[in-house]
Amino acid sequence: MDFANTPSFFRSGPKPGTRLLLCALASIALLVGDSRYGLMEQARDGMSLVLYPLQRAVNLPLGMVRHVSDYFTVQADLKSENDQLRTRQLEMSARLARLETLERELNELRSLNAIKASRNDAAQLAETLYTGRDPFSYKIIIDKGADAHLQPGQPVVDGRGLLGQITRVQPLTAEVSLIIDKNQMVPVMIARTGERAILYGYGGGVEIRYLPLHADVRENDMVVTSGIDGLYQEGTPVARVSKVERNAGAAFSRITTEPLAGVQQTRFVLVLQQKGQTPPRPAEPVVPVKKTKGKKPADSE
Amino acid sequence: MSFDRPKELLKPVKRRFIFMTLLLAVLVEMIPLPHGSTRWLPDFISLVLLYWLINQPRRVNVGVAFLMGLVADIATAGMLGQHALAYSATAYLALSRQRQLVMFNLGQQALAVLGLMLCNQSIMVVARMLSGSAFVGWSYFLPPLIGALLWPLLTKLLLLPYRHHSV
Repeated sequence: MDFANTPSFFRSGPKPGTRLLLCALASIALLVGDSRYGLMEQARDGMSLVLYPLQRAVNLPLGMVRHVSDYFTVQADLKSENDQLRTRQLEMSARLARLETLERELNELRSLNAIKASRNDAAQLAETLYTGRDPFSYKIIIDKGADAHLQPGQPVVDGRGLLGQITRVQPLTAEVSLIIDKNQMVPVMIARTGERAILYGYGGGVEIRYLPLHADVRENDMVVTSGIDGLYQEGTPVARVSKVERNAGAAFSRITTEPLAGVQQTRFVLVLQQKGQTPPRPAEPVVPVKKTKGKKPADSE
Repeated sequence: MSFDRPKELLKPVKRRFIFMTLLLAVLVEMIPLPHGSTRWLPDFISLVLLYWLINQPRRVNVGVAFLMGLVADIATAGMLGQHALAYSATAYLALSRQRQLVMFNLGQQALAVLGLMLCNQSIMVVARMLSGSAFVGWSYFLPPLIGALLWPLLTKLLLLPYRHHSV
């Protein structure tokens, strides 16, 4: 005789069947509208704004735990870390001095040849709010959004390499699609040889597809962005080749790579500017040829 | 812990309490956790939702399930409508057999919940694969199992505030 078992003699409202029909129709409409036409962006923005304080509230205790553990770090740890950072900074400043002279030279050469310097090094630091719970897609949510003038398409890096790209900007947060997400492609080149390729994410990892069998790729080769898409700056490290399989029966070699950036672990990320507006396409058919060259290096050989 | 369903007379459930538990489930869902844990953690929103669907069918119906699905869609940054579709279909299944489900003891209920949650996951997999995602592997069906194992505990927990002697 528990309360839950009380028979309900009078039900109010429509029957569950009709309700199901309505809800199923509504959700299928949402699914189609969201996945095919991207109609739901406004609603999603609004909802994310409502959920934002909740998100912050949930993150608060975690942040406090982090603060407390930061406060009680052993002094020896701090000391050793400080030493490490100091040496690293020395190395870096030496490299930076060299880089600055090189950059000046480069800019002079560019101005001599009337090429516009397109590099824009402004960057914004953001913190990872949470990783998307959706097992089908690899995304992280960062704590800056339209309020910090982020735009979809901006590349996101961490200390070690390319992390992904902003795919959706909401008023206070932004979604970053990681390079390991399915449908995520990065134009890259092998740093050692300059051979261009496309790095495909396949959901949980990255691989280089469509490189011919005789392409010069070895294990432990660094893969960096090639910068020919007008989106990523050239030279950002992306991945390391971990295995090269050459099967005589296949047209392309099978190249497994590992992302360099802490794709699932990073807390702080850096949002870079897009490479800058690419000039409008010239009318000659040269550009389409170049385009296929980047996508299918098989043709360029 | 006995698996018999509670026989005692309970105090009426407040609407506020239902709302609070659902909110709590959403919050739990939003806690940033290490990456691997999402592979086996059950979907707390659907668990709490199923509890209220089975025990308070007049308060929590298909419409509420649909709304909670929308919230889950936003919270998990998934595709809009995926959770909503799965939750409302599962809610309908649960409601159509609610009179039986509520008579079961907790072990039997856990089995039924396992079936319902598996159905939940299958709908989501089908929805995502139709929209072009890759299959994520069979480990996607692990969370319902753990959710079903947690069911008796959840029931006991949610009953706690409504026992007469507890006040």
